[in-house]
Amino acid sequence: MDKRLYTVSEEEKYYFDLRGYLVVRAVLTANEIAQCNAAIDHFADRIDHYDGSLSRGSKALAGATSRRQLTGMLGWPSPFREPFRKLLVHPTVVSRLNEFSGKGFRLDHGPLLINAATGTEGHTLHGSGQPHSPATWYHQQNGKIYCQGITVAWQLTDCKAGAGGFALVPGSHKTREPTPDGVISVEEDMGLVVQPEMKAGDVLFFAETATHGTLPWKGENERRSVLYKYAGRGVARAVGKHFTPQQRYSDWVDGLTPEQQAVLYGPGVHSGSRAPVLESDGEKTWIPQTK
Amino acid sequence: MDAKERYFWDLTGYLIVRNVLTPEEVAAANAAIDACTDRMTQGEDNNRSRDSVSLRGKGQKLLGNTIELEKPFCDPFRKMLVHPQVVVRLNEMCGKGFRYDHGSWVAFSEQGTEGFTLHGSGEPHGPNVAYHHQNGRMYCNGVTATWQLADGAAGAGGFACVAGSHKSAFPIPAGVRTCDADLGVVIQPETKAGDVIFFMDGAQTHGTLPWVSEVPRRSVLFKYASRTAVRSGVSTQVAPPEIYWDEAIVEGMSDPERAVMYGPCTNTGGGKAYLDIDEEGNVSASDLAV
Repeated sequence: MDKRLYTVSEEEKYYFDLRGYLVVRAVLTANEIAQCNAAIDHFADRIDHYDGSLSRGSKALAGATSRRQLTGMLGWPSPFREPFRKLLVHPTVVSRLNEFSGKGFRLDHGPLLINAATGTEGHTLHGSGQPHSPATWYHQQNGKIYCQGITVAWQLTDCKAGAGGFALVPGSHKTREPTPDGVISVEEDMGLVVQPEMKAGDVLFFAETATHGTLPWKGENERRSVLYKYAGRGVARAVGKHFTPQQRYSDWVDGLTPEQQAVLYGPGVHSGSRAPVLESDGEKTWIPQTK
Repeated sequence: MDAKERYFWDLTGYLIVRNVLTPEEVAAANAAIDACTDRMTQGEDNNRSRDSVSLRGKGQKLLGNTIELEKPFCDPFRKMLVHPQVVVRLNEMCGKGFRYDHGSWVAFSEQGTEGFTLHGSGEPHGPNVAYHHQNGRMYCNGVTATWQLADGAAGAGGFACVAGSHKSAFPIPAGVRTCDADLGVVIQPETKAGDVIFFMDGAQTHGTLPWVSEVPRRSVLFKYASRTAVRSGVSTQVAPPEIYWDEAIVEGMSDPERAVMYGPCTNTGGGKAYLDIDEEGNVSASDLAV
């Protein structure tokens, strides 16, 4: 294997710290790309359209159709799961994430195939240094990078300049000012939004706290990008299977008040259920009613 | 939490709120502890003091998981778990949605009990316990609330910290860690029974001085985290890949593949959750975080 594929260069560290993303070129062989695409083709009947609109009213991001997506690759029967398990701990990923997130990085959720035909809508930009998000926090100290949320997006088809797809605001992982509405919608992006050109076999790393999203897909080819969402060892975004107090502890939690149970939920913020929050005036504690 | 408290917390990394528990509440908690003394564990002598000379002493006694005790013994501690004076402060310190990570143990120290070498610091950065302040808001990922059930007079020993160390960008000097040459920066705040100490667990340099008072130390420690931060406790128990994920997802995975499937926690219980890459680009899993 080419040493550059499993070695982080000083230029890469500089670029990732400065920009909030990094593209490592020509990581997968043509055969590896073909294996991934063949497995996806095999399960093509499981590809769903995203239920809802991700362009959220933006004229600049509107499209004729919603994006298509597919999950569950790691649990597919053999041999279809193998190409995706290989990507999970590919030396190119391990070398970069050990440096960017620290040893012990973990898969938080994914992989997710993002699949787009010509005319597919975009996704409003999201993520930012402001407000601060502990779950995706980017921090650099004494020469070491601590990025708590990194997405690794494997490109299985080409993304030419101007084709659309992944886009972000370089440097936005360090901003302390809120993102202007025109940048979120890309209707008035102040010339800040970039769409990196990529080829099949390239792998994109981006800090989740960088302002990122998707431009409408204008490419003549199908877009296929497989996203793995990694996190630092002590951080959770997806809530996992053991979230409620009853799922985490034994019967003794049934004797607790709802307020006491509220602080025994597991970590994380993503999922269908959310942990209750507590309010207090210093005299009493309660769970506010949700509307 | 008023402006003075916020200033003190941001500046020093700890905060003491006085007279939170009534004498009756203190008595009820102490009675529960007295009823459970046979369940205390006894630490080895000179264990937590490690290589320190000045912290040496008898082993630490602990009563664990007080919120899981049977009724009525659990009641005083469950009340502490979401006490209004805790909730109002943790909503600001950690943010709404803060969670109990682990703890609720009683540190019971008889005269001569050893200290605990100082640990935690702004350097190296620990993301899951770190302190950050931005645009008027505080974000502390790990906070311990320590309830005092006995007086801790000046010079008595017990909780000690280095004020302001949560913002340090330099590693702790060895003499400060051991308190053998502490540069005059280690303080032991005076507390009374009924007070509660909040401190930045992991971000702030803190530990315990040997207990010299004739009256035993009784402190109950609750370790909280912000909504997405994780350390140990139950999270360690549910972290192994076969527990954390559906069976089909992880079935047949190699050790390196399993490594990144461990659930969130920094104490993986010895699990091989850490990946290395050798000179040839081969990936291997180990239990070594460094």
